[in-house]
Amino acid sequence: MSTIDVDNITKSFGTQIAVDGVTFQVEPGEIFGLLGPNGAGKTTSIRIILDIFKPDHGSVSIFGGAMTEDKKNRIGYLPEERGLYQEVSLENCLVYLATLKGMSEKRSQERISSFLERFNLSDHRKKKVKELSKGMQQKAQLITTLVHDPELIIIDEPFSALDPINTQMVKDLLREQSKLGKTIVMCTHQMHQVEQLCDRLVLINRGKTILYGKLAEIQEQFSGNEIILRTENPLPANIPGIQSLHSENSHLVYKAHLEDGVSPQVILQNLLAQNIILKQFEVSSPSLDEIFIQVVTKSGEFDA
Amino acid sequence: MHKMWLVLKYEYLRHVKKKRFILAVLSVPLFILVIMGISFLSVLFSIDNTPIGYVDQSQFLANPVMLTQGGSDPFEKNLEIIPFDTEQAAQSALDQGQIQAFFILPPDYLDTGDSKLVSKEIPGSEVYNDFRLFLRKNLLKGYEPQIADRVLEGADVELVAMEGERERSSANVLSIILPVVAGILFMLAVNISGGYLLQSLVEEKENRTMEIIVTSISPTQLMAGKIIGNLSVGLTQIIIWLFFAAIGIVFVLRTFPSLQSAQIDSFFLIIMILTFLPAFVMVAAMMAAIGASSSETKEAQQIAGLFTIPIALPFWFIAAIMSNPNSPFSVFLSIFPFSAPVILPMRVALSAVPTWQIVTTILILIVAAIFSLWLAGRAFRLGLLRYGKRLSLKEILQKG
Repeated sequence: MSTIDVDNITKSFGTQIAVDGVTFQVEPGEIFGLLGPNGAGKTTSIRIILDIFKPDHGSVSIFGGAMTEDKKNRIGYLPEERGLYQEVSLENCLVYLATLKGMSEKRSQERISSFLERFNLSDHRKKKVKELSKGMQQKAQLITTLVHDPELIIIDEPFSALDPINTQMVKDLLREQSKLGKTIVMCTHQMHQVEQLCDRLVLINRGKTILYGKLAEIQEQFSGNEIILRTENPLPANIPGIQSLHSENSHLVYKAHLEDGVSPQVILQNLLAQNIILKQFEVSSPSLDEIFIQVVTKSGEFDA
Repeated sequence: MHKMWLVLKYEYLRHVKKKRFILAVLSVPLFILVIMGISFLSVLFSIDNTPIGYVDQSQFLANPVMLTQGGSDPFEKNLEIIPFDTEQAAQSALDQGQIQAFFILPPDYLDTGDSKLVSKEIPGSEVYNDFRLFLRKNLLKGYEPQIADRVLEGADVELVAMEGERERSSANVLSIILPVVAGILFMLAVNISGGYLLQSLVEEKENRTMEIIVTSISPTQLMAGKIIGNLSVGLTQIIIWLFFAAIGIVFVLRTFPSLQSAQIDSFFLIIMILTFLPAFVMVAAMMAAIGASSSETKEAQQIAGLFTIPIALPFWFIAAIMSNPNSPFSVFLSIFPFSAPVILPMRVALSAVPTWQIVTTILILIVAAIFSLWLAGRAFRLGLLRYGKRLSLKEILQKG
């Protein structure tokens, strides 16, 4: 049984179609990436999964059925619209939100204490939420997401407003949760941030699915088209099989785009045949950003 | 249901624990106490207990019946009345300050009823009242004491309704004061609780906590918790005030034993509670609907302020309703849901209201309360994630 089963959901607001026939499954225990540029329909999809919006068409099943009040206690959600009660103390705010997730007051106090300790927020527990910095509030929000030990963690743009140190901390935290067997759905437009984390992903653009599958397989599928070369002497202008050649900042590092149907092995043979001395020959594994750009430019569906 | 209690508790304690709340609650009775104390003292100091005199030239007061001196109540005490043989004697007593004023009854007093008052300064009303009472008592001297009492005190008219269940006594002072006070308290409670409720709903939007909340608890439970929690805050405030009022009433009754005959009618209290509770929920839920469909506290408060107008409006017509509690206008105001909580108890206290009107009014209020709750729930569900955009009534009613 999939943890989340999204079946062909569509949602429009007025004339604007936000989500258009999106289908994917999230399996138990995996880290799943819900990716796409700004305005692609990621947040709307998440809100439909969480029963905040009703889809116009299609259906969503979570833990094997429709959303219920009990299932809400098993989910931790970090919304893109961050929000905490500003007028109360940090501790009170966190305890209240934790008890709303079905925890006893005593247990939530214990868990919150240890989280505050870990996030270096212990000194601020009595301060009003509005007196905290944006980064601190972000961390407090993360505590709210994780405090009730949810089976399913859904986080929308987890790295916004975080400095590199805290970004690393959040990544470590997510890995740790994943090791504990939690299912994690990460939703972001910062695709490079999730490359090291995701097992599988769905990439949506303008409400439509453009890629869906295992990260490794997708990268495989899009690799082989480009190689990175470092040589001792400048390369001759034309090498059979290479369509275009870009020199990166150092003159002797090249990115070569291959002609369709030409394998990197053939290029290597050609280079050796020409007695070119190679310092590096690498089949480039494209980043998600590159894959995304490649896909949308090919389908002509990208507004600059 | 457990989560509804959590919301209720959170909302309640959030306000009640604040210093601002405690100050607001205590400041009103203190203010009233000071005002009452000042007016009480000013009346007390203005009373002049110096005796009054009279010169009887008509000889009808040859063997006068004197007024009893009254009890410890300073407002009930009768002035001492001293007879003088001549005007000169009375005048000299006045000059020496033994008396504060004297009356002269001319020889033809019994024919004309005319008398003259001599005084250095304009005397207080008790001088006239006590002397008039003294004259009446003596005029009625020849009659049987029972007849004299009836003439002096007038009749105590009791109104009996056609249905024969409810009786009103015209001597019951509280029956007039109580509905007015209760109406004012109701308005205050609505204002206070409604204000808290609105604030809490709009804050939910301003703080952008909606998404976290609705993924933790159902909107209905949240709404119920918020409405009951904030109503409880308002009621706490009112109950504390009533407690002070009760102390005040006990104090007043001790001072003015004559008011003790007045009693609070239990039927009136029941009608009051039956109209107040649904009206309370109705107004609160309507305010909640506005809170959920508008995006800023200020805007919400301005619109919610409009709700207090129909509630306050009946106070303008109190005189008309009191003089004619069964006119079509009074009946209309007592059935109209917004003015009903003020006017129906008032009519019940003043007159005999037909049972069908009472039942209709309360039923309308209950239906209006349920409808408002439904409206609030919908407004909340639809207005959920609209930041900075107002929800129109049409949208709330139309959209599925």
